[in-house]
Amino acid sequence: MGPIGDRQLAISNTIMPQLKIAAVLALSILLQLSLRVLWPPLSYIDFPLIVVVYIALQRDAWRALLVGTLAGIIVDASSGGLIGAGGFSKTLTAYIIYFAATKVNLENPLVRIPVLAAATVLDSTIYVFWHRLLGYPPVLPLMQTISYRLIATTIAGTLVLYMLDSLIADRSAQQRQFATRRRVARRSTGTLRRR
Amino acid sequence: MATVRTQREIRQKAPLWLIGLLLANVVIMAIDARDNQGQQQIVRVWTQTVATPVQNVSSKAGGATSNFFRQIFSFRSIAAENEQLKQRVTEIESELHNARLQAAENERLKGLLDLRNQSTYQTLPARVIARDPSVWFNTITINRGTSAGVKINMPVVSATGIVGRVITVSPWASQVMLVTDEKAGAGAVVGQLGESGALGSVRGRPDLGLIEMRYVSGLEKVTLGDFVMTTGQDGIYPPGLKVGEVVDVKNGTATQPHQILIRPGAGLDRLEEVAVLLYEAPQRTAPAQTLPNVEKKKQ
Repeated sequence: MGPIGDRQLAISNTIMPQLKIAAVLALSILLQLSLRVLWPPLSYIDFPLIVVVYIALQRDAWRALLVGTLAGIIVDASSGGLIGAGGFSKTLTAYIIYFAATKVNLENPLVRIPVLAAATVLDSTIYVFWHRLLGYPPVLPLMQTISYRLIATTIAGTLVLYMLDSLIADRSAQQRQFATRRRVARRSTGTLRRR
Repeated sequence: MATVRTQREIRQKAPLWLIGLLLANVVIMAIDARDNQGQQQIVRVWTQTVATPVQNVSSKAGGATSNFFRQIFSFRSIAAENEQLKQRVTEIESELHNARLQAAENERLKGLLDLRNQSTYQTLPARVIARDPSVWFNTITINRGTSAGVKINMPVVSATGIVGRVITVSPWASQVMLVTDEKAGAGAVVGQLGESGALGSVRGRPDLGLIEMRYVSGLEKVTLGDFVMTTGQDGIYPPGLKVGEVVDVKNGTATQPHQILIRPGAGLDRLEEVAVLLYEAPQRTAPAQTLPNVEKKKQ
Protein backbone atom coordinates (compact mmCIF):
# COMPACT_ATOMS: atom_id res chain seq x y z
CA MET A 1 0.00 0.00 0.00
CA GLY A 2 1.39 3.47 -0.96
CA PRO A 3 1.81 6.51 1.34
CA ILE A 4 -1.52 8.02 0.24
CA GLY A 5 -3.32 4.77 1.00
CA ASP A 6 -1.63 4.59 4.42
CA ARG A 7 -2.69 8.14 5.21
CA GLN A 8 -6.27 7.44 4.18
CA LEU A 9 -6.29 4.31 6.32
CA ALA A 10 -4.87 6.26 9.29
CA ILE A 11 -7.51 8.97 8.87
CA SER A 12 -10.31 6.45 8.64
CA ASN A 13 -8.98 4.60 11.70
CA THR A 14 -8.59 7.67 13.92
CA ILE A 15 -11.05 10.32 12.78
CA MET A 16 -14.03 8.25 11.70
CA PRO A 17 -14.69 6.59 15.07
CA GLN A 18 -14.41 9.97 16.77
CA LEU A 19 -16.86 11.52 14.33
CA LYS A 20 -19.27 8.64 14.84
CA ILE A 21 -19.05 8.99 18.62
CA ALA A 22 -19.57 12.78 18.39
CA ALA A 23 -22.63 12.23 16.18
CA VAL A 24 -24.07 9.59 18.50
CA LEU A 25 -23.46 11.82 21.53
CA ALA A 26 -25.14 14.80 19.83
CA LEU A 27 -28.10 12.61 18.88
CA SER A 28 -28.43 11.26 22.41
CA ILE A 29 -28.47 14.80 23.85
CA LEU A 30 -31.05 15.91 21.28
CA LEU A 31 -33.22 12.90 22.17
CA GLN A 32 -32.88 13.66 25.87
CA LEU A 33 -33.96 17.26 25.31
CA SER A 34 -36.84 16.54 22.95
CA LEU A 35 -38.44 13.30 24.15
CA ARG A 36 -40.02 14.90 27.21
CA VAL A 37 -42.11 17.03 24.87
CA LEU A 38 -43.37 13.91 23.10
CA TRP A 39 -44.28 11.97 26.25
CA PRO A 40 -43.02 13.04 29.73
CA PRO A 41 -42.25 9.52 31.08
CA LEU A 42 -39.67 9.10 28.27
CA SER A 43 -37.41 11.46 30.21
CA TYR A 44 -36.68 8.56 32.57
CA ILE A 45 -34.44 7.12 29.84
CA ASP A 46 -30.96 8.59 30.16
CA PHE A 47 -29.65 8.43 26.58
CA PRO A 48 -26.34 10.25 27.20
CA LEU A 49 -25.59 7.78 30.03
CA ILE A 50 -26.16 4.86 27.65
CA VAL A 51 -23.61 6.34 25.22
CA VAL A 52 -21.15 6.90 28.08
CA VAL A 53 -21.57 3.28 29.19
CA TYR A 54 -21.04 2.06 25.64
CA ILE A 55 -17.78 3.99 25.23
CA ALA A 56 -16.53 2.91 28.66
CA LEU A 57 -17.23 -0.71 27.73
CA GLN A 58 -14.93 -0.24 24.71
CA ARG A 59 -12.11 0.29 27.27
CA ASP A 60 -11.36 3.72 25.86
CA ALA A 61 -10.69 5.69 29.05
CA TRP A 62 -10.00 9.12 27.60
CA ARG A 63 -13.05 9.18 25.34
CA ALA A 64 -15.31 7.75 28.05
CA LEU A 65 -14.25 10.39 30.59
CA LEU A 66 -14.49 13.26 28.12
CA VAL A 67 -17.87 12.15 26.75
CA GLY A 68 -19.15 11.68 30.33
CA THR A 69 -18.18 15.22 31.32
CA LEU A 70 -19.47 16.83 28.13
CA ALA A 71 -22.79 14.97 28.10
CA GLY A 72 -23.37 15.70 31.77
CA ILE A 73 -22.63 19.40 31.53
CA ILE A 74 -24.72 19.94 28.38
CA VAL A 75 -27.74 18.22 29.94
CA ASP A 76 -27.18 20.14 33.20
CA ALA A 77 -27.26 23.43 31.27
CA SER A 78 -30.88 22.81 30.28
CA SER A 79 -31.86 21.40 33.63
CA GLY A 80 -32.91 23.15 36.81
CA GLY A 81 -30.23 21.28 38.78
CA LEU A 82 -26.66 22.27 39.50
CA ILE A 83 -24.36 22.53 36.50
CA GLY A 84 -21.55 20.02 36.91
CA ALA A 85 -23.49 17.48 38.99
CA GLY A 86 -24.41 15.44 35.92
CA GLY A 87 -20.88 15.89 34.57
CA PHE A 88 -19.39 14.57 37.80
CA SER A 89 -21.71 11.58 38.07
CA LYS A 90 -21.29 10.54 34.44
CA THR A 91 -17.49 10.95 34.50
CA LEU A 92 -17.16 8.83 37.63
CA THR A 93 -19.58 6.23 36.28
CA ALA A 94 -17.61 6.09 33.02
CA TYR A 95 -14.35 5.50 34.88
CA ILE A 96 -15.77 2.78 37.12
CA ILE A 97 -17.19 0.92 34.12
CA TYR A 98 -13.94 1.37 32.18
CA PHE A 99 -11.99 0.01 35.17
CA ALA A 100 -14.32 -2.98 35.50
CA ALA A 101 -14.13 -3.61 31.74
CA THR A 102 -10.32 -3.78 31.89
CA LYS A 103 -10.50 -6.42 34.63
CA VAL A 104 -13.53 -8.48 33.57
CA ASN A 105 -14.91 -9.29 30.14
CA LEU A 106 -18.12 -7.25 29.84
CA GLU A 107 -18.62 -7.62 26.09
CA ASN A 108 -21.34 -10.23 26.42
CA PRO A 109 -24.75 -8.60 25.73
CA LEU A 110 -26.26 -10.35 28.75
CA VAL A 111 -23.59 -8.99 31.07
CA ARG A 112 -24.26 -5.49 29.79
CA ILE A 113 -27.76 -5.48 31.31
CA PRO A 114 -26.57 -5.47 34.95
CA VAL A 115 -23.81 -3.05 33.95
CA LEU A 116 -26.39 -0.61 32.59
CA ALA A 117 -28.56 -1.03 35.67
CA ALA A 118 -25.61 -0.44 38.00
CA ALA A 119 -24.51 2.59 35.97
CA THR A 120 -28.01 4.13 36.23
CA VAL A 121 -28.18 3.63 40.00
CA LEU A 122 -24.65 4.95 40.47
CA ASP A 123 -25.22 7.99 38.26
CA SER A 124 -28.51 8.88 39.99
CA THR A 125 -27.07 8.38 43.48
CA ILE A 126 -24.04 10.58 42.84
CA TYR A 127 -26.22 13.24 41.17
CA VAL A 128 -28.65 13.38 44.09
CA PHE A 129 -25.80 13.23 46.63
CA TRP A 130 -24.18 16.40 45.24
CA HIS A 131 -27.49 18.24 45.14
CA ARG A 132 -28.29 17.32 48.74
CA LEU A 133 -24.77 18.23 49.83
CA LEU A 134 -24.97 21.69 48.27
CA GLY A 135 -28.50 22.37 49.49
CA TYR A 136 -30.52 21.70 46.33
CA PRO A 137 -32.48 18.51 47.01
CA PRO A 138 -34.30 17.24 43.88
CA VAL A 139 -38.03 17.66 43.95
CA LEU A 140 -39.08 14.09 43.17
CA PRO A 141 -39.10 11.09 45.57
CA LEU A 142 -35.65 9.49 45.41
CA MET A 143 -36.31 5.74 45.41
CA GLN A 144 -39.29 5.93 43.09
CA THR A 145 -37.43 8.08 40.55
CA ILE A 146 -34.30 5.92 40.67
CA SER A 147 -36.44 2.80 40.16
CA TYR A 148 -38.19 4.27 37.13
CA ARG A 149 -34.87 5.45 35.68
CA LEU A 150 -33.34 2.03 36.32
CA ILE A 151 -36.11 0.20 34.48
CA ALA A 152 -36.38 2.67 31.57
CA THR A 153 -32.65 3.15 31.00
CA THR A 154 -31.84 -0.55 31.29
CA ILE A 155 -34.50 -1.62 28.80
CA ALA A 156 -33.81 1.17 26.31
CA GLY A 157 -30.06 0.90 26.88
CA THR A 158 -29.96 -2.80 26.02
CA LEU A 159 -31.54 -2.06 22.66
CA VAL A 160 -29.45 1.06 22.04
CA LEU A 161 -26.19 -0.76 22.87
CA TYR A 162 -27.13 -3.45 20.38
CA MET A 163 -27.73 -0.76 17.73
CA LEU A 164 -24.50 1.05 18.57
CA ASP A 165 -22.61 -2.21 18.22
CA SER A 166 -23.70 -2.54 14.63
CA LEU A 167 -23.17 1.18 13.92
CA ILE A 168 -19.87 2.02 15.58
CA ALA A 169 -17.96 -1.18 16.44
CA ASP A 170 -15.12 -1.63 13.96
CA ARG A 171 -15.16 -4.66 11.75
CA SER A 172 -11.86 -6.00 13.05
CA ALA A 173 -13.33 -6.35 16.54
CA GLN A 174 -16.35 -8.14 15.11
CA GLN A 175 -14.10 -10.42 13.06
CA ARG A 176 -12.06 -11.17 16.19
CA GLN A 177 -15.24 -12.14 18.00
CA PHE A 178 -16.34 -14.38 15.14
CA ALA A 179 -12.90 -16.02 15.04
CA THR A 180 -13.11 -16.76 18.77
CA ARG A 181 -16.59 -18.21 18.33
CA ARG A 182 -15.40 -20.39 15.42
CA ARG A 183 -12.50 -21.65 17.50
CA VAL A 184 -14.80 -22.50 20.37
CA ALA A 185 -17.21 -24.20 17.99
CA ARG A 186 -14.39 -26.27 16.43
CA ARG A 187 -13.14 -27.31 19.85
CA SER A 188 -16.55 -28.48 20.95
CA THR A 189 -17.08 -30.44 17.70
CA GLY A 190 -13.69 -32.11 18.21
CA THR A 191 -14.66 -33.14 21.71
CA LEU A 192 -17.87 -34.68 20.40
CA ARG A 193 -16.02 -36.61 17.70
CA ARG A 194 -13.56 -38.02 20.24
CA ARG A 195 -16.47 -39.21 22.34
CA MET B 1 4.57 -2.54 20.31
CA ALA B 2 3.73 1.13 19.89
CA THR B 3 0.05 0.34 20.42
CA VAL B 4 0.84 -1.57 23.62
CA ARG B 5 2.78 1.38 25.00
CA THR B 6 -0.02 3.78 24.17
CA GLN B 7 -2.56 1.54 25.86
CA ARG B 8 -0.33 1.30 28.93
CA GLU B 9 0.12 5.07 28.98
CA ILE B 10 -3.61 5.54 28.74
CA ARG B 11 -4.20 3.12 31.60
CA GLN B 12 -1.62 4.91 33.73
CA LYS B 13 -2.90 8.40 32.97
CA ALA B 14 -6.62 7.63 33.21
CA PRO B 15 -6.82 8.20 37.01
CA LEU B 16 -5.14 11.59 36.55
CA TRP B 17 -7.66 12.59 33.85
CA LEU B 18 -10.44 11.36 36.08
CA ILE B 19 -9.29 13.48 39.01
CA GLY B 20 -8.82 16.52 36.75
CA LEU B 21 -12.28 16.25 35.22
CA LEU B 22 -13.97 15.53 38.55
CA LEU B 23 -12.27 18.56 40.09
CA ALA B 24 -13.39 20.73 37.16
CA ASN B 25 -16.98 19.54 37.66
CA VAL B 26 -16.84 20.21 41.40
CA VAL B 27 -15.55 23.74 40.80
CA ILE B 28 -18.34 24.45 38.26
CA MET B 29 -20.90 23.01 40.68
CA ALA B 30 -19.62 25.08 43.59
CA ILE B 31 -19.70 28.29 41.53
CA ASP B 32 -23.21 27.49 40.29
CA ALA B 33 -24.45 26.69 43.82
CA ARG B 34 -23.00 29.97 45.10
CA ASP B 35 -24.45 31.93 42.15
CA ASN B 36 -27.92 30.41 42.66
CA GLN B 37 -28.12 32.12 46.04
CA GLY B 38 -27.30 35.51 44.56
CA GLN B 39 -28.43 37.25 41.37
CA GLN B 40 -25.28 36.95 39.23
CA GLN B 41 -25.27 33.50 37.59
CA ILE B 42 -22.15 33.44 35.45
CA VAL B 43 -21.78 29.70 34.79
CA ARG B 44 -25.47 29.17 34.10
CA VAL B 45 -25.76 32.16 31.78
CA TRP B 46 -22.76 31.02 29.71
CA THR B 47 -23.75 27.38 29.50
CA GLN B 48 -27.32 28.31 28.66
CA THR B 49 -26.15 30.70 25.94
CA VAL B 50 -24.17 27.85 24.38
CA ALA B 51 -27.03 25.36 24.84
CA THR B 52 -29.76 27.60 23.38
CA PRO B 53 -29.18 26.60 19.69
CA VAL B 54 -29.25 22.91 20.67
CA GLN B 55 -32.47 23.47 22.59
CA ASN B 56 -33.99 25.27 19.61
CA VAL B 57 -33.20 22.34 17.32
CA SER B 58 -34.49 19.77 19.82
CA SER B 59 -37.65 21.81 20.42
CA LYS B 60 -38.43 21.92 16.71
CA ALA B 61 -37.66 18.23 16.22
CA GLY B 62 -39.67 17.23 19.29
CA GLY B 63 -42.59 19.46 18.32
CA ALA B 64 -42.75 18.08 14.79
CA THR B 65 -42.62 14.45 15.97
CA SER B 66 -45.14 15.14 18.71
CA ASN B 67 -47.55 16.77 16.27
CA PHE B 68 -47.18 13.89 13.85
CA PHE B 69 -48.12 11.29 16.48
CA ARG B 70 -50.85 13.49 17.93
CA GLN B 71 -52.44 13.87 14.51
CA ILE B 72 -52.41 10.11 13.96
CA PHE B 73 -53.91 9.35 17.36
CA SER B 74 -56.54 12.07 17.15
CA PHE B 75 -57.71 11.26 13.62
CA ARG B 76 -60.62 9.07 14.79
CA SER B 77 -62.02 11.60 17.19
CA ILE B 78 -61.73 14.53 14.80
CA ALA B 79 -65.30 14.32 13.44
CA ALA B 80 -66.93 14.23 16.87
CA GLU B 81 -64.58 16.90 18.12
CA ASN B 82 -65.45 19.10 15.15
CA GLU B 83 -69.13 19.04 16.09
CA GLN B 84 -68.33 19.84 19.70
CA LEU B 85 -66.06 22.66 18.63
CA LYS B 86 -68.76 24.19 16.44
CA GLN B 87 -71.11 24.27 19.42
CA ARG B 88 -68.39 25.63 21.63
CA VAL B 89 -67.60 28.42 19.13
CA THR B 90 -71.21 29.54 19.24
CA GLU B 91 -71.13 29.59 23.04
CA ILE B 92 -67.80 31.38 23.13
CA GLU B 93 -69.00 34.02 20.70
CA SER B 94 -71.85 34.95 23.02
CA GLU B 95 -69.53 34.81 26.02
CA LEU B 96 -67.05 37.02 24.19
CA HIS B 97 -69.76 39.54 23.45
CA ASN B 98 -70.69 39.66 27.15
CA ALA B 99 -67.04 39.83 28.16
CA ARG B 100 -66.47 42.78 25.82
CA LEU B 101 -69.36 44.64 27.35
CA GLN B 102 -68.07 43.91 30.83
CA ALA B 103 -64.52 44.84 29.85
CA ALA B 104 -65.70 48.19 28.50
CA GLU B 105 -67.59 48.84 31.70
CA ASN B 106 -64.58 47.72 33.68
CA GLU B 107 -62.32 50.10 31.78
CA ARG B 108 -64.62 53.01 32.49
CA LEU B 109 -64.69 52.18 36.19
CA LYS B 110 -60.95 51.81 36.29
CA GLY B 111 -60.55 55.17 34.63
CA LEU B 112 -62.75 56.64 37.33
CA LEU B 113 -60.65 55.08 40.06
CA ASP B 114 -57.38 55.89 38.31
CA LEU B 115 -56.22 52.27 38.70
CA ARG B 116 -55.28 51.67 35.12
CA ASN B 117 -51.53 52.01 35.67
CA GLN B 118 -51.52 49.57 38.53
CA SER B 119 -53.47 46.81 36.87
CA THR B 120 -52.06 46.61 33.37
CA TYR B 121 -48.85 44.74 32.67
CA GLN B 122 -46.79 44.70 29.57
CA THR B 123 -46.44 41.17 28.23
CA LEU B 124 -43.77 39.55 26.13
CA PRO B 125 -44.78 36.46 24.13
CA ALA B 126 -42.27 33.61 24.27
CA ARG B 127 -41.93 30.07 22.97
CA VAL B 128 -40.97 27.09 25.13
CA ILE B 129 -37.78 25.74 23.59
CA ALA B 130 -36.85 23.10 26.15
CA ARG B 131 -38.08 21.22 29.14
CA ASP B 132 -35.93 19.96 31.96
CA PRO B 133 -34.13 16.97 30.43
CA SER B 134 -33.48 15.46 33.84
CA VAL B 135 -36.37 13.99 35.76
CA TRP B 136 -35.31 15.57 39.01
CA PHE B 137 -36.43 19.20 38.49
CA ASN B 138 -39.37 21.15 37.03
CA THR B 139 -38.13 23.87 34.74
CA ILE B 140 -38.69 25.02 31.17
CA THR B 141 -36.55 27.19 28.91
CA ILE B 142 -38.08 30.00 26.86
CA ASN B 143 -36.64 31.82 23.86
CA ARG B 144 -36.54 35.29 25.44
CA GLY B 145 -33.74 36.71 27.51
CA THR B 146 -32.13 39.93 28.65
CA SER B 147 -32.07 41.21 25.07
CA ALA B 148 -35.90 41.28 25.17
CA GLY B 149 -36.03 42.86 28.61
CA VAL B 150 -36.57 39.74 30.72
CA LYS B 151 -35.26 39.89 34.28
CA ILE B 152 -34.95 37.41 37.12
CA ASN B 153 -38.17 36.77 39.09
CA MET B 154 -40.47 38.07 36.36
CA PRO B 155 -43.72 36.08 36.27
CA VAL B 156 -44.51 33.83 33.31
CA VAL B 157 -48.13 33.16 32.44
CA SER B 158 -50.25 31.39 29.85
CA ALA B 159 -53.74 32.29 28.72
CA THR B 160 -55.19 30.03 31.41
CA GLY B 161 -53.04 30.76 34.44
CA ILE B 162 -49.64 31.35 35.94
CA VAL B 163 -46.79 29.16 34.72
CA GLY B 164 -43.91 30.12 37.00
CA ARG B 165 -41.15 32.65 37.46
CA VAL B 166 -37.87 33.37 35.70
CA ILE B 167 -34.90 32.00 37.63
CA THR B 168 -32.06 32.42 35.13
CA VAL B 169 -31.66 34.87 32.27
CA SER B 170 -29.13 34.68 29.46
CA PRO B 171 -29.10 37.02 26.44
CA TRP B 172 -31.44 34.91 24.27
CA ALA B 173 -33.11 32.49 26.65
CA SER B 174 -34.45 32.23 30.16
CA GLN B 175 -35.10 29.38 32.51
CA VAL B 176 -38.46 29.30 34.25
CA MET B 177 -39.23 27.44 37.46
CA LEU B 178 -42.72 25.99 37.11
CA VAL B 179 -45.33 26.73 39.73
CA THR B 180 -45.50 22.98 40.48
CA ASP B 181 -41.88 22.99 41.67
CA GLU B 182 -41.48 22.43 45.40
CA LYS B 183 -39.44 25.62 45.70
CA ALA B 184 -42.01 27.73 43.85
CA GLY B 185 -44.37 29.72 46.03
CA ALA B 186 -46.92 32.49 45.75
CA GLY B 187 -49.48 34.32 47.83
CA ALA B 188 -52.98 33.21 46.84
CA VAL B 189 -56.63 33.46 47.70
CA VAL B 190 -59.53 31.09 47.06
CA GLY B 191 -62.08 33.14 45.13
CA GLN B 192 -61.79 36.80 44.26
CA LEU B 193 -59.31 39.05 46.01
CA GLY B 194 -61.18 41.51 48.18
CA GLU B 195 -64.26 39.28 48.39
CA SER B 196 -62.83 36.15 49.97
CA GLY B 197 -60.92 35.83 53.22
CA ALA B 198 -59.44 32.42 52.31
CA LEU B 199 -55.91 33.71 52.03
CA GLY B 200 -52.88 31.45 52.04
CA SER B 201 -49.77 30.53 50.13
CA VAL B 202 -49.28 28.00 47.37
CA ARG B 203 -46.38 25.63 46.88
CA GLY B 204 -45.69 23.02 44.20
CA ARG B 205 -46.24 19.32 44.76
CA PRO B 206 -44.14 17.81 41.94
CA ASP B 207 -44.87 14.26 43.11
CA LEU B 208 -48.57 14.84 42.31
CA GLY B 209 -48.14 17.41 39.53
CA LEU B 210 -50.41 19.70 41.54
CA ILE B 211 -50.14 22.77 43.77
CA GLU B 212 -50.73 22.73 47.49
CA MET B 213 -52.37 25.67 49.24
CA ARG B 214 -51.49 26.16 52.88
CA TYR B 215 -52.41 28.37 55.82
CA VAL B 216 -56.03 28.88 54.73
CA SER B 217 -58.10 29.28 57.88
CA GLY B 218 -60.29 26.28 58.63
CA LEU B 219 -63.18 28.66 59.24
CA GLU B 220 -63.27 29.80 55.61
CA LYS B 221 -65.53 27.98 53.19
CA VAL B 222 -63.64 26.23 50.38
CA THR B 223 -65.33 23.92 47.89
CA LEU B 224 -64.15 21.81 44.97
CA GLY B 225 -63.95 23.72 41.71
CA ASP B 226 -63.24 27.09 43.36
CA PHE B 227 -60.75 29.26 41.52
CA VAL B 228 -57.54 30.32 43.19
CA MET B 229 -56.01 33.70 42.33
CA THR B 230 -52.75 35.44 43.20
CA THR B 231 -52.78 38.14 45.85
CA GLY B 232 -49.59 39.94 44.85
CA GLN B 233 -48.20 39.65 48.38
CA ASP B 234 -45.28 37.45 47.39
CA GLY B 235 -43.40 40.19 45.58
CA ILE B 236 -43.27 38.20 42.31
CA TYR B 237 -46.75 37.72 40.85
CA PRO B 238 -49.13 40.66 40.44
CA PRO B 239 -52.55 40.28 42.05
CA GLY B 240 -55.52 38.78 40.20
CA LEU B 241 -53.80 36.10 38.10
CA LYS B 242 -55.40 32.68 38.01
CA VAL B 243 -53.39 29.95 39.74
CA GLY B 244 -55.77 27.06 39.18
CA GLU B 245 -58.81 25.21 40.41
CA VAL B 246 -59.37 23.42 43.73
CA VAL B 247 -59.44 19.65 43.16
CA ASP B 248 -59.16 18.36 46.71
CA VAL B 249 -59.96 19.81 50.14
CA LYS B 250 -59.39 18.26 53.54
CA ASN B 251 -61.46 20.53 55.70
CA GLY B 252 -59.74 22.09 58.67
CA THR B 253 -61.11 23.22 61.99
CA ALA B 254 -61.01 26.46 63.98
CA THR B 255 -57.44 25.67 64.96
CA GLN B 256 -56.28 23.74 61.92
CA PRO B 257 -56.00 25.14 58.41
CA HIS B 258 -57.54 23.50 55.33
CA GLN B 259 -55.38 21.18 53.22
CA ILE B 260 -56.09 22.20 49.64
CA LEU B 261 -54.79 20.78 46.38
CA ILE B 262 -55.04 22.83 43.20
CA ARG B 263 -54.77 21.81 39.56
CA PRO B 264 -52.70 24.46 37.76
CA GLY B 265 -54.75 26.53 35.34
CA ALA B 266 -51.96 26.55 32.78
CA GLY B 267 -51.59 23.12 31.11
CA LEU B 268 -47.98 22.71 32.20
CA ASP B 269 -47.46 19.39 30.41
CA ARG B 270 -48.25 20.79 27.00
CA LEU B 271 -46.98 24.35 27.14
CA GLU B 272 -45.81 25.75 23.84
CA GLU B 273 -46.45 29.47 24.02
CA VAL B 274 -46.25 31.58 27.17
CA ALA B 275 -46.00 35.26 28.04
CA VAL B 276 -43.53 36.94 30.33
CA LEU B 277 -45.10 39.72 32.35
CA LEU B 278 -42.64 42.60 32.35
CA TYR B 279 -43.66 43.23 35.91
CA GLU B 280 -41.45 44.07 38.80
CA ALA B 281 -43.07 44.10 42.20
CA PRO B 282 -42.77 47.39 44.06
CA GLN B 283 -39.80 47.41 46.42
CA ARG B 284 -40.74 47.14 50.04
CA THR B 285 -38.75 48.63 52.86
CA ALA B 286 -37.31 45.93 55.02
CA PRO B 287 -39.02 46.22 58.41
CA ALA B 288 -35.89 45.25 60.34
CA GLN B 289 -33.96 48.22 58.96
CA THR B 290 -36.60 50.70 59.99
CA LEU B 291 -36.78 49.57 63.59
CA PRO B 292 -35.15 51.94 66.02
CA ASN B 293 -33.45 49.03 67.83
CA VAL B 294 -31.51 48.14 64.69
CA GLU B 295 -30.24 51.66 64.38
CA LYS B 296 -29.06 51.52 67.94
CA LYS B 297 -27.24 48.23 67.34
CA LYS B 298 -25.41 49.66 64.35
CA GLN B 299 -24.23 52.60 66.37
